[in-house]
Amino acid sequence: MTLQVRLVLDALLADPARERYGLQLCEVTGLPSGTIYPIMARLEQLGWVESNWEDPGRHIAEGRPRRRYYRLTGEGAGQARRALAQVRRPGRRPRYGLITGTGIAGVTR
Amino acid sequence: MNWRRPGRAGDGDDLLNDLLAVVATTRPDADARLISRAYGVAAGVHAGQTRRSGDPYISHPVAVAAILATAGADDQTLCAALLHDTLEGDRYSLAALSDAFGGDVAALVTGVPGSAGAPAIADSRAVMIKLADRLHNLRTAAPLPPQTRLSKSRDTLDVLVPMAASLGLDAIKVDLEDLAAGILSRETLRTPASGRVLARAAALLPAPVRSRWRDEWAGELAALPTRRQRAVFTVRTLGGVPQLAVTLRRPPRAG
Repeated sequence: MTLQVRLVLDALLADPARERYGLQLCEVTGLPSGTIYPIMARLEQLGWVESNWEDPGRHIAEGRPRRRYYRLTGEGAGQARRALAQVRRPGRRPRYGLITGTGIAGVTR
Repeated sequence: MNWRRPGRAGDGDDLLNDLLAVVATTRPDADARLISRAYGVAAGVHAGQTRRSGDPYISHPVAVAAILATAGADDQTLCAALLHDTLEGDRYSLAALSDAFGGDVAALVTGVPGSAGAPAIADSRAVMIKLADRLHNLRTAAPLPPQTRLSKSRDTLDVLVPMAASLGLDAIKVDLEDLAAGILSRETLRTPASGRVLARAAALLPAPVRSRWRDEWAGELAALPTRRQRAVFTVRTLGGVPQLAVTLRRPPRAG
């Protein structure tokens, strides 16, 4: 799992039921949109994430085009937690450190 | 230094006086009467003509001459700068120009590349005029169509900046470079911000999902308040389109 995917999963798992659009994920993870969209496409293919168009009532009322929102699926949340636990398993040698919201996490390979 | 003037009648002498003041700072020995005469001819030829900005046309050759005066150009160069566009129409002739100011000034005027598609330039002073001409045109490029601004800016970086460097005209070179690079970056940032660029990039994606991503990006773009933010989003998103195209063509698999 790449560092970027972990950042995205961490962000989603911080509030698994919440829907977020692409730019919000950019802000939370600090990743550029050009990195976020391919990751979201892949997570969606895997069934970890689902995406939906925003409620028309909202964007029409605001007079702007609709936004696409992402959310972890029930199954995806569990798989994401397991996958993150796997790469953070103690005993695996951290390749380099990364400061996240939850502290310093080693990135293993 | 801003040489643009409101387009009212009767401010011509102010232009001349401003120019002579600049000339005096770098060339106290300059022939003010000769320069005034060149100004008078140019002002007569360009009478009634305006630039796109609405300024009287004469403000342009005066500004070009002022740029050259700052660089310490000689009297003939300053006269040729003032007269550099007088042969464009049919109000003034090369013969009249030669009679009034001599063959050297006439050669400089005809030798300004671009003015009459002049071939090889023997006189580096003609190149100096061309450089100053472009410098002032870029400074006042705002009313020009975007395509013209872009092509002039590219030509400036590709051709004129190296010319200025080879002549050792460092101040003009730096100014040209800054102006052209600034115009290019603004124009290239503006174009993608319209969303057309992302819409076009979406063509790289598999057809069934193309419109979804195009709409998704349009939704994000529309929610961004400033042009700069839209430009940054566009550039960053563009960077990921090739990867997205690969991902979307990969068969879905577990794990």
